[in-house]
Amino acid sequence: MRQLGQQSKTSCAGEPVLEVLALSFNYPDRPHVLQGVSLRVWAGERVGVIGPNGAGKTTLFLLICGVLRPASGKIYLFGRPVVPGEFLPEVGMVFQTPEDQIFCPAVKEDVAFGPRNLGLSKEEVEARVQEAFAITGIAELANRPPHHLSGGEKRLVAIAGVLAMRPRLVLYDEPTSNLDHRYRRRLINFLEAARETMLIASHDLEFILEVCNRVVLIDGGRIVANGNPREVMGDGALMDAHGLERPHSLIPHADPHH
Amino acid sequence: MHIPDGILPASVCLGGYAAAAVATWYSLRKIRQKEDPRAGIPKASLLTAAFFVASWIHIPVPPISVHLVLNGLLGAVLGYYAFPAILIGLFFQAVIFQHGGLTTLGVNAAVIGVPAILSYYLFQVRNLFGQDSRLGTGLCGFLAGAAGIGLAAVAVLTLLITTLPAHLDIEVERASIYALALAHVPLMVIEGVFTALVALFLLRVKPVLLED
Amino acid sequence: MKPRLDEYTDLDSPLHRWEPRAKLVSLMVLIFAFSFLRDLRLLPVMLAASGFLYFVSRLPLSFLLSRLRLPGFFLLVVAVLLPLCSGTTVLFEIGPLTVWKEGCLDLLLIGAKFVSILTAGIVLFGTTPLLTAVKAMRALGLPAILAEMTLLSYRYLYEIGGDLRCLERAMRLRGFRGRSLGSLSTLASLSGTILVRSYEQAEGVYKAMVLRGYGQEASFREEFQVRPQDLAGLLAVFLAAAGFVAAEICLQ
Repeated sequence: MRQLGQQSKTSCAGEPVLEVLALSFNYPDRPHVLQGVSLRVWAGERVGVIGPNGAGKTTLFLLICGVLRPASGKIYLFGRPVVPGEFLPEVGMVFQTPEDQIFCPAVKEDVAFGPRNLGLSKEEVEARVQEAFAITGIAELANRPPHHLSGGEKRLVAIAGVLAMRPRLVLYDEPTSNLDHRYRRRLINFLEAARETMLIASHDLEFILEVCNRVVLIDGGRIVANGNPREVMGDGALMDAHGLERPHSLIPHADPHH
Repeated sequence: MHIPDGILPASVCLGGYAAAAVATWYSLRKIRQKEDPRAGIPKASLLTAAFFVASWIHIPVPPISVHLVLNGLLGAVLGYYAFPAILIGLFFQAVIFQHGGLTTLGVNAAVIGVPAILSYYLFQVRNLFGQDSRLGTGLCGFLAGAAGIGLAAVAVLTLLITTLPAHLDIEVERASIYALALAHVPLMVIEGVFTALVALFLLRVKPVLLED
Repeated sequence: MKPRLDEYTDLDSPLHRWEPRAKLVSLMVLIFAFSFLRDLRLLPVMLAASGFLYFVSRLPLSFLLSRLRLPGFFLLVVAVLLPLCSGTTVLFEIGPLTVWKEGCLDLLLIGAKFVSILTAGIVLFGTTPLLTAVKAMRALGLPAILAEMTLLSYRYLYEIGGDLRCLERAMRLRGFRGRSLGSLSTLASLSGTILVRSYEQAEGVYKAMVLRGYGQEASFREEFQVRPQDLAGLLAVFLAAAGFVAAEICLQ
């Protein structure tokens, strides 16, 4: 594995938020989805996870939040081992398809789903919902049925539903897919202002470059590079070898601007 | 195929609700006996919606086209979730699509849903051929589909003819039951063939949907 | 296929404001009282009662008419069959056809009950959002599994309906006509695809639900506030329903 640049500019002191040790995973019909993945993430980091289709990004996320059971290896969140199947409100995951995540017949109902399961009182749930609406700026959608929302609106509702639980670590799976430019920009501004630690899996490398302060490249179930986004994604040979392309903004201009 | 409001006397409607309650109770009890009913609910719910949508598909029977009931297929795929699924589907039909049927919801659910449960058992016979046998799946799919609608049709016709405030004599009544039942034979064949085809499709693409 | 159910649920009327549990119980009792009636003399009263309810609900008349159109076809069939087939007293004859008096009276009875029951049902669910109605039923004892399944399937109904439309459009663009029996296997694959897709989506939905604590004891139940006027409404409708039933029994 290549280590590029210093690990991260933010504090590396203290206990990591997330520690993944020699993690392996297989699906019954697909062996070696992840092979010995190790990763540490510290508070406040925004780590981009890149790699070709089928590299194991989504699987890694599902393992971190305890939906899947690893074949071997350990995952620690805030110093505690993750028990598969246990409810972990400290970790939120925003799914690639908001359709899967928003399952209540009204937006407000959906955002309240998580807080209600936390055992909060009615007033606290309402406060959480309003807070999540305020952060994502979608208060006006509260009483709309989800199937009448646009793709961008659905994405923000899905994010609000996760943030209403006040997670300390948020996993974003392809957050910019199917977004138009306006919503993509809105998402970038929102993520840059967010204080939670986050992992973002995306094929939108320009987006990763803008938002993340570290990037991890996964291919064939292994981490092949881990470091500063400009250095990892600027390495043309490395990117090429793993079926990715350097983001345009990192390609030195052959013909200078007029 | 469902009995609208206004035809059946109140006692039959109430009896229908009672029958539906018993069938629901039975189904829910069976569902709770499974190891994790929580995991099954989202699947059964989305499939309920999918079946409802699939029943909108026009099936050409030249020169006309018909909608299928699909209760046999529902039974084969959803097992004990079939009855709740049918109840919910009919509720949507009455409430969202306003086809009416609030008084007859119980009767209709019983008439369509109980045969679905029987179709489920019938479809399980395919395990005798082995789970991946195309012959067994096709054959049992056909039987489940045909029996599902056949039983439902017989039940509906019997109910209608015995409770209609008709001043008909018994001979005419009996003859008309037979005639109407015979008219349903082609529908049974189509529903059976369709169920078999879908079951074979699922066997190839997503066999886990057919497993118990 | 996008009938808007909740189109008029945010109007303001005594029926919209009625506490949902009381409304549900009252109107269902009334609907059953309607279905109990057989005496022709009570039909005008029944029609007036359902008409009055609809008037109070302030739902637009066009809504009712659009909702009556589809099931109306059924009435048409009955209207043709019953007067011609059932009865002992000849009303009049048209050529070879005999129109029977009893059949005509039965038609009147069935038609009036059909319209009244449907109208009351439209008032009930046209003034209550489905989410609220299901919560009210849950509070009245509907099993949790049924309530959950109802809301989840309702949520994905339009989504899956949209999927079907897309698939059908794509099939037509590739030349599928679907007018002969031979297209049965294609249509079976279409249905199968819809089933497989929704099954796979359900796996994702389940994961997302578990991550947000699905299966944990929810902290509070939705509670409804019953006010005196809700109970008054309940009582009034109960009395009306009892009146209908009593009148029917006395007139027999």
